[in-house]
Amino acid sequence: MKGRKKIFLQLGICIFFLSIVGILINNLTINLIRTGLGFNFSWLLKPASFALAEHPLPYTSSDSYAWALFIGWLNSLKVIISSLFLSTCLGTLIGFARTGKNSLLGLISAGYITIIRQTPLLLQLMFWYFVGFLGLKDNVFLGIKNIFKISNQGIEFSGLTLSSEFSALLFGLSIFTSAYIAEVIRGGILSVPRGQWEAFRSLGLSERKGLFSIIVPQALPAIIPGLTSQYLNLAKNSTLAIAVGFSDIYAINDTIINQTGRAIECFLILLTSFLLLNLLISNGMEIINRIIITSSKTN
Amino acid sequence: MTVSVIKLLIQKLRKTLFSNSSNTLISFILILIINLACFITFEWLLFNANWKVVTSNIPLFAFGSFPPNEQWRPAIWIISLITLSIVTLFGPRWKWLRKNLLIAWGSTIPLGLYLLYGGIGLSPISSRHIGGLTLTILLTACSSVLSLPLGIILALGRQSSLPLIQKLSSIYIDVIRAVPLIAVLFFGQLLIPLFLPVGIEVDRVWRAIFAFTLFVSAYIAEDIRGGLQSIPHTQIESANSLGLNQYQIIRFILIPQALRIALPALTNQSIGLFQNTSLMAILGLVELLGIGRSILANPEFIGQYIEVYVWLACVYWLVCTIMAILARHLEQRMTINQANF
Repeated sequence: MKGRKKIFLQLGICIFFLSIVGILINNLTINLIRTGLGFNFSWLLKPASFALAEHPLPYTSSDSYAWALFIGWLNSLKVIISSLFLSTCLGTLIGFARTGKNSLLGLISAGYITIIRQTPLLLQLMFWYFVGFLGLKDNVFLGIKNIFKISNQGIEFSGLTLSSEFSALLFGLSIFTSAYIAEVIRGGILSVPRGQWEAFRSLGLSERKGLFSIIVPQALPAIIPGLTSQYLNLAKNSTLAIAVGFSDIYAINDTIINQTGRAIECFLILLTSFLLLNLLISNGMEIINRIIITSSKTN
Repeated sequence: MTVSVIKLLIQKLRKTLFSNSSNTLISFILILIINLACFITFEWLLFNANWKVVTSNIPLFAFGSFPPNEQWRPAIWIISLITLSIVTLFGPRWKWLRKNLLIAWGSTIPLGLYLLYGGIGLSPISSRHIGGLTLTILLTACSSVLSLPLGIILALGRQSSLPLIQKLSSIYIDVIRAVPLIAVLFFGQLLIPLFLPVGIEVDRVWRAIFAFTLFVSAYIAEDIRGGLQSIPHTQIESANSLGLNQYQIIRFILIPQALRIALPALTNQSIGLFQNTSLMAILGLVELLGIGRSILANPEFIGQYIEVYVWLACVYWLVCTIMAILARHLEQRMTINQANF
């Protein structure tokens, strides 16, 4: 009797759910017919006819929408990977400073973390773009024999040029994420029992050697999962690129919707590209996690 | 007395700041940098900054384009929220007051909706005119309140023994958590009208609240699931042995404990939500950041980015800090006193 009740309950929910989806799809088709758009993906092969300021691969405005979307995806990947590195380095430094012995350094890092975490990322990105980069003068702001210079055109570093949009996004995202990563690192270090510190000190190891060969390896298993979720957040937050005018996957989808009105199709494309990106990051971190676990077992 | 305190302080400073040569060097460099930074900041704050852009636009930042002779309505709402926060934190510990505080907090949302939208006795005002800090608080409050029950249902659904419900809630939670917030908000602004029958329209503020609710509920569901999983299974067994039915177990045993365990995560979600309402500035609502953007577009205040952004950062920081302090207060009150056992 109980099993049959369960089946009936599920059947009821199934019918309820399907009928709601049916009503929504019915409304959608009526609306799409009314606006005369319909639902298809053939427009992807038509020329995009908009220019992109930044493209890692050759792109002209006569290329197709599909190619423009792919360029946007590459742009997203570029900013995500570079801020991933920068924020990890910065976050690790701040995390160590926060747990270190020098209380002044700890106080400064704590202040940094609260200020960054209690203000919205969008505001920080706008600050970096409009104040940090566009607020600079046209001429060189900081130049060391033409190797490194920052101006309102962006950053130039021995032949490598980063646009001001990209640099603002990179700075904003890295600094924002580094505050969260610092907390993850701190939590990881604090999760190692105090006895371990006392033990390596009594063995006569130096503070630095003890930290890197005793404490950090034990903290890593606690750090990696937190780090993974921060990286996923970073990838999602990179869509705020639109606020500073960097053409990432979301910004290009937005442009296409404004041009063609194909909101549903673009939304599906955006959804798929983010599911792909998430799979990429979480699988990559899973591999790193496995390497760390196996290496800590063999040691 | 004072001499010994000073001696102790010097000893502590010596231990933490000047324990060895490299530490001393770092400390001196830091002190130098801090002094320099403070000097530059104060010089800018006092002499170079032009605060007219903020001071002449305070009503705009607070209420948006709300009609000037009706601005007392959002003002009353914000003042009542502030008063309630102060009473909660510093008020007297009378029992009847403490008991009614929860009701008072709960009634702030209907009060706010009534004051903002108007209705019986007040002239109705279109949501187009609601803006600034008022809109930011409205978005945060309504979305938090709506997403809590949805999150609880999703969390219970994911733990359910019925495979269909379990699959549906898992798919929903995982998909929403994989998608950036701005995509969900975009869905709310542009796609929801497409899914509605011809002729029915939902205004932009409510579409935004709906999108925030869809997004946050998936995160809340995961937090509550964490709480549910940490309840020992013996509790369910003992509830069963007492003869409670499935509904009673969920209502009286699981939900209260899971909520208490998940409370810190939940309050963090609502602080995050408060910050994330700024994303609506990109999608065309004039909440706090949106007002800032539109003021900066005004030729009179052109180029005064630093003043506006610093001011907005201070407002966001202040409200977030107040929310965090209230949250800690709530957590302290909700933890079970060990002495009772």
